[in-house]
Amino acid sequence: MTMAKTMPSLPLTLILGLWFAALSWPAHAHHVLGRPSYGLNEDSNTPPSIQLETQAGVYFLNYMAFPAFPRPEEPGRIHLYVSRIDNGEPVQNKVTFKVRENSWFSSAVEVLGVQDPDDNVFRQGFLFHDTGDYIVTAQFEADGQAYSVDFPLRIGEPWPLGPVTLAIGAAVIGLVGLSLLQRKRLLRAKIRAARQDAGR
Amino acid sequence: MTRVTKRPFFLWRHLNKLRWVTLSLVFAILIILPLLSVYQNYVAAYAYDLLSPSERVLYDTAEWFTSPFTDDPAKDLDLVKGTTWSGTLFGLKLSDPLAVVSQIAAGLTVYWPFVLTALIPVVMTMLFGRFFCGWVCPATFLYELNTNLAAWVRRAGLRIGARRFDKRFKYLVLGLGIVISAVSGTVIIAAIYPPAIIGREIYYAIALGGFGAGTAFFVLTVLFDLLVARRGFCRYLCPGGALYALLGRYRPFRIQRIVETCNDCAKCNAICEFGLDPMRDDFGQECNNCSACIAVCPTDALTFAVKLRDVPYQGPGYLGHARRKPAQVAKTQPEAA
Repeated sequence: MTMAKTMPSLPLTLILGLWFAALSWPAHAHHVLGRPSYGLNEDSNTPPSIQLETQAGVYFLNYMAFPAFPRPEEPGRIHLYVSRIDNGEPVQNKVTFKVRENSWFSSAVEVLGVQDPDDNVFRQGFLFHDTGDYIVTAQFEADGQAYSVDFPLRIGEPWPLGPVTLAIGAAVIGLVGLSLLQRKRLLRAKIRAARQDAGR
Repeated sequence: MTRVTKRPFFLWRHLNKLRWVTLSLVFAILIILPLLSVYQNYVAAYAYDLLSPSERVLYDTAEWFTSPFTDDPAKDLDLVKGTTWSGTLFGLKLSDPLAVVSQIAAGLTVYWPFVLTALIPVVMTMLFGRFFCGWVCPATFLYELNTNLAAWVRRAGLRIGARRFDKRFKYLVLGLGIVISAVSGTVIIAAIYPPAIIGREIYYAIALGGFGAGTAFFVLTVLFDLLVARRGFCRYLCPGGALYALLGRYRPFRIQRIVETCNDCAKCNAICEFGLDPMRDDFGQECNNCSACIAVCPTDALTFAVKLRDVPYQGPGYLGHARRKPAQVAKTQPEAA
């Protein structure tokens, strides 16, 4: 038997090929089900973690921080928009960004940078080494006046409970424990005290 | 001596424990609801991947807790919302009567749908008196813990407050609060009414991450209780207590002394948080039916009765010293020759 006789003919090959192609599973649209995940680096376009708006004199300031949750040792960026309230004209002067720890025990101030507007936005990169609460100060001069505006910035995961909550919670839990464990002694103490007050 | 046949229903002694359970439950709900509200926001925002580790713990815990009851937490958990000031409980809207009165005064208008949300509390108060103060109020939970602390502090030899003032002063506070609300157009009473403050401050602390000025005010009232007058705010200053006392003046369900089994030990007077005088049948409109006096009575001489007014003073207890003294004196005197 020759090779030509054992190999399928070209038309049959084409037919078989088309048949297999028709039988192949259709390519379904692939949905990412469940909870979506966002890219959160400093260049992402996802919503920022903080967006604050405030006024300083006749100027309107819009402050944003990227990424969504800045962590220590990870780069981030601040965007600041400054414009006049009356006519919306953006400020074109330089803005100095400074940072200090938001703590009663620390007053050291560090200069992050001095930025020119880039497409009417002042962009300042940052990289913090330590977790904590910080205050970012934006300083600029306009119309012969100096402006200084503070914004918060949290690096790392915040404590789930603040100091006041912890104190009050500890007090309540302590009182509940005391009331449960010493209830008979407390009852005797109350009765004794009432009798003393009544002069019996 | 007359044989005693009156005995109170045996469960009345245990009502005080039930009262503590309800107070604890109300307080726990005030903490759980803001946590669930935060969870609802996370669910509605599809934000699981954006959460920090501690926020994920809250999400996962709330999901585990609510998944047997809800298919759509973002919507279904709206069935229980609010605080003791005003809220909704599985579709039933309930409001503190003081909230309704204040709102009418502030707006100088009556909005009947809101008024109707206070109907059930008003009817229950007219039946059971200041029961809200004893059984529901979240401030009572903390004030009674504070009273226990005061007992410990006194036991340790330190001075605590034991002054008494005129209980009618709180009616003046209520009246002034209504007038100021009417003049200013704001519900000013909510700023000084502890149940409203506590519900608000707990929500602020959990859902918004901080406390407001109300916390400072409430701490002052706690210090007032500890250092000036026992349960001073509730007895002398609370506008809500004043309103409830007025509504519950002729409550049919009230505590009454069984004089035949009373031994005048005065433990009921000692335990009463509101400074009443159960031993002299003096309960009045201030009594919140907390049943602490029933629980502490060693001879079961206190019970609930259905009467529109307190019985007049029945005299000393039959088992007390005043009744026994003449007989004891007669026994000890030598017989005449």
